[in-house]
Amino acid sequence: MPHNLEFYASCTLDADGCTTCGDVAVPTFVIEVVGRDAVVRDRLGQQATIAVDFFPEVRVGDVLLVHMGVAIAKLPAPAAGAGQEGVA
Amino acid sequence: MKYVDEFRDPKLIEKAAEEIRRLADPKRHYRIMEVCGGHTHSIYRFGLQDLLPENLELVHGPGCPVCVLPMGRVDDGLRLAQNPQVILTAFGDMMRVPGQMGTPLEMKARGVDIRMVYSPLDALKLAEKNPAREVVFFAIGFETTAPSTALTLLRAKKMGIPNFTVFSNHVNIIPAMRAILDSPDMRLDGFVGPGHVSTVIGCRPYEFVAREYSRPVVVSGFEPLDLLQSLVMLLRQLNEGRAEVENQYERVVPWDGNQAALAAMAEVFELRPFFEWRGLGFISQSALKLRPEYAPWDAEARFEVAGVRVTDPKAAQCGEVLKGVLKPPQCKLFGKECTPEKPVGALMVSSEGACAAYYNYVHRAELVSGD
Repeated sequence: MPHNLEFYASCTLDADGCTTCGDVAVPTFVIEVVGRDAVVRDRLGQQATIAVDFFPEVRVGDVLLVHMGVAIAKLPAPAAGAGQEGVA
Repeated sequence: MKYVDEFRDPKLIEKAAEEIRRLADPKRHYRIMEVCGGHTHSIYRFGLQDLLPENLELVHGPGCPVCVLPMGRVDDGLRLAQNPQVILTAFGDMMRVPGQMGTPLEMKARGVDIRMVYSPLDALKLAEKNPAREVVFFAIGFETTAPSTALTLLRAKKMGIPNFTVFSNHVNIIPAMRAILDSPDMRLDGFVGPGHVSTVIGCRPYEFVAREYSRPVVVSGFEPLDLLQSLVMLLRQLNEGRAEVENQYERVVPWDGNQAALAAMAEVFELRPFFEWRGLGFISQSALKLRPEYAPWDAEARFEVAGVRVTDPKAAQCGEVLKGVLKPPQCKLFGKECTPEKPVGALMVSSEGACAAYYNYVHRAELVSGD
């Protein structure tokens, strides 16, 4: 499981908070690309087929943020130590 | 758990909370609105309010689409579902939203064909599988969700699927923020900006808040440390007399948003002249309807939609809570007539609603402890 899934948010494909909410998104790892769809896996290993129309260049190994079955962001791998800066 | 733990590390959280207490000028009272229902949920879930000084008040904003949907629109959707040709599809939480005619779930129990879907694309698949029926998708959500609906409509048009329509209730966050800023009750000092809406629209659309209203906006992630860092950034701005848009959630939010998603929305949707928001009234150019080119897939063009206005239950004070005038437990119905099991107002229906979040994470704990 690539560690960078956990960098973005704690939601999963199975339990992503309020399903109707306008602001929930799930970080996932692309394991297969089939045309405009991709099979993705979340940090708990759950899989789903999602639409990647907004990211035609998507590749296996990319990290996508998924909302309601559609990828809305492609995410960079985090830098070492990220998450600890900017507190003080 | 790497990364998630870092954003929930007690030491880092305490360090951030100390910084907030250091920055909070005891002679001032800070009122910060978190616009997004996801943030409200995180604040209660992690008990962040307890870490903050008394003079830093978090006000819960309008960023839950279920909470701002007027009852009349729920009833309009239910009337569509009563057509025996129609299969009405909706997201899970939408199934529990009460209109005057009851909830979609209650209607389903009475034999009306209403089905829950995870994605609008699932509704489109349902239409493909049921060519003799009319599948209507009850679309709801801000700019995080609208691209999913837009993409589904693009596919429906391209595939030429004639029995799929969308009943659009999509709303835009920026006009709602402007309405709150223009309200005579407005006493906010700054905003925690929505995280994933901003993934789509970027940070630039919030610049008017800083420029025209001299209020800072910090776009924030959803982990405890994200929110506390955002409050640190807001307090620094306020103490230095700055009003700028800053991006705490840089690891996810591009400053200019997602151009492909915005293009899909622009292709499919146009702004409605007016749309009614629960608690906020009619706001001009605040919601999305389908463009005339998509009329064959527009439920409002294909079917008769009554557009009846329904007054909210008088005793429920959702509007005051939405605007930050009242806190959830100050509503007369809170925890008595109105609970997550039997919600009266929309803010109790959605788990992201301020009242449901407060009920689940604070009120239940108080009931157990007897406080």
